[in-house]
Amino acid sequence: MVAVRFHGRGGQGAKTASRILGTAAFLSGYVAQDSPIYGAERRGAPVAAFTRFGREPIRERGAITHPDVVVVADASLLEDPGARVLEGARAQTVLFVNSSLSPDALRAHLSLPEQVMTRDVTGIALQQLGQREAISALLGAVAARLVGLEWEPVRQAITRELEDLAVAPPVIEKNLTVAKQCYDSVEPTGLHKGGGQVISAAALHNPIYEPPTKGTARISAAGNSVLRETGGWRTFRPVLVAGKCNGCWLCFVYCPDGVIAMNQDDRPVVDYAHCKGCQICVHECPTHALVAEREQEGGEAWTAK
Amino acid sequence: MWQRETFKKIKQIPREEHVLPGTALCAGCGGLEALRLAAKVLGDHVVYVNAAGCFTMLAAYPYTSFKGSWLYTTMGSAPAGAQGVRDALDVLIAKGKLPKSEDVKVVVLGGDGSTYDMALSSTSGALHRKLDFYYICYDNEAYGNTGMQLSPATPYAARTATSPCSVQHPAATAQEKKNIFEIWRAHRPPYIATVAPRYPLDLEEKFARAAAFTGPKMFLALSACPTGWVYDPGETPEVAKLAVETGLWPLKEAINGVVTHTYIPKRKPVEAYLKLQGRFRHLFEPTVHTDAIRHIQERVDAYWQQVTKEQA
Ligand SMILES: Cc1ncc(C[n+]2csc(CCOP(=O)(O)OP(=O)(O)O)c2C)c(N)n1
Ligand code: SF4
Repeated sequence: MVAVRFHGRGGQGAKTASRILGTAAFLSGYVAQDSPIYGAERRGAPVAAFTRFGREPIRERGAITHPDVVVVADASLLEDPGARVLEGARAQTVLFVNSSLSPDALRAHLSLPEQVMTRDVTGIALQQLGQREAISALLGAVAARLVGLEWEPVRQAITRELEDLAVAPPVIEKNLTVAKQCYDSVEPTGLHKGGGQVISAAALHNPIYEPPTKGTARISAAGNSVLRETGGWRTFRPVLVAGKCNGCWLCFVYCPDGVIAMNQDDRPVVDYAHCKGCQICVHECPTHALVAEREQEGGEAWTAK
Repeated sequence: MWQRETFKKIKQIPREEHVLPGTALCAGCGGLEALRLAAKVLGDHVVYVNAAGCFTMLAAYPYTSFKGSWLYTTMGSAPAGAQGVRDALDVLIAKGKLPKSEDVKVVVLGGDGSTYDMALSSTSGALHRKLDFYYICYDNEAYGNTGMQLSPATPYAARTATSPCSVQHPAATAQEKKNIFEIWRAHRPPYIATVAPRYPLDLEEKFARAAAFTGPKMFLALSACPTGWVYDPGETPEVAKLAVETGLWPLKEAINGVVTHTYIPKRKPVEAYLKLQGRFRHLFEPTVHTDAIRHIQERVDAYWQQVTKEQA
């Protein structure tokens, strides 16, 4: 059995990527299962998805605690303790990260398995698809190549899964072209399955029943959600271009999360610890004073419309 | 002509935040946009009574975004919960255990699944008893929290998880959106309004006006939902704007049953609104469902013809 775990942020397509891999494996004649897991969180919050496939019936269910391959759709998740990207990974686990940084650059401040690969999938999608986030087909294709599946079933799987999401045929075609490039950009890895040194132990807890008198949660600290920083959800950050803002307040008014405050000179100040990167301010700013810059890896800025 | 009295300029919108960040709601949530603006008028002396749905994540243990209080109820019983809270406050005040100055507003938060469907009888009861409360329905036109299933608020031809395009229904949802405004209005509460956060002054003004009334104050807030309606989160205000400008989402209020439209749109063709959203994409690709689009346009036209007739 091969176990592949995907990590992404809600909306990036980790779940669909895992389905694409599962379907491609099934079409290749394997038994396969795929399932996502997410909490009550939404678009932008960490999610994981699991694909298992093999020649023999697979009895194991639920979360993959010891993955052979980990596919990470967003490099910022590596450092998000809530996402637990490396949990249960062993020294020989293959780690693929969607990042423009090199594996060595990532290793500089993180302890990672031996086999780490990076590709700037988001950059490729931006250039060739013009889409900002839906990289499911590309990640699915990369994962399928890493585990050694042929292209034809992968092509069929991408088509099926995107059709299922009512993606328009011309968009599916474009996705296939770019997915093939991503597929070709990596090599199948020799997978070592099972055994070996565990890098960080997986913690699985049995749910326990608490009576309502004890189990009902009470929060007595008002407004404490600010302790929970959602800045890591961003792929792009809104940045103020000096001299262009006319102080109209619209970014402040339309921000759903209330993370833009107007300073004494009526200029917006963004609370980057909490801004989720929805880009409403970038879209609504009448003078294009707010632009979106790609997180961490910098460079590409875009303005809406 | 309806005129705003309290909120004439954007810079009159209060700076203070009452729904704090760090929530688990989606980036670009239109419902949160509406609630945040509403709370700027409602303030912090509030008990929110929240039916299960996306908004319950605003106070997911151990964090809360509210500076005031919050109570979680089942999907079908938020107005009954509000009755209990209101009664308790009234009893405490009557017994002298709570100074009148420390009274708080009771505000129901309910999604459309709760509002149009599961909690309808509970709401009807509260309206009938003239409960002194606010009700904010954030209408994202589906059961959002559980993955966008059809609700009675889902508009005709929208694709949801449980109303996909099928051979029988190539245009997806076959039913029309339930008219909850009129159902509420039949109960004659003192105040009902529809709002859209892309029209912030209209929204703020309505919450300010509602404060003058004792009894049920009912709000229906357009809550564009990037996740369920399938569009880029940054386009939430654009989607809301087109909902209003095409005439699909009328901005109006009803005081003791008398309806006034607070904004008369020039009415762009409905395609402008539909085309922006993935949940309507099947109407345009691979083939154009002319009949379905015409049907939507005709219903909007009929609505506004009726409005014009009543105004004359
Ligand atoms: C009686 C009952 N049935 C089902 C559920 C599961 N459930 C939790 S939230 C939710 C969706 C609620 O939809 P809506 O009221 O439209 O609010 P939204 O999630 O869109 O914010 C459902 C079905 C429940 N809590 N109670
Ligand atoms: S699913 Fe829609 S309504 Fe629910 S939190 Fe996300 S954007 Fe808001």
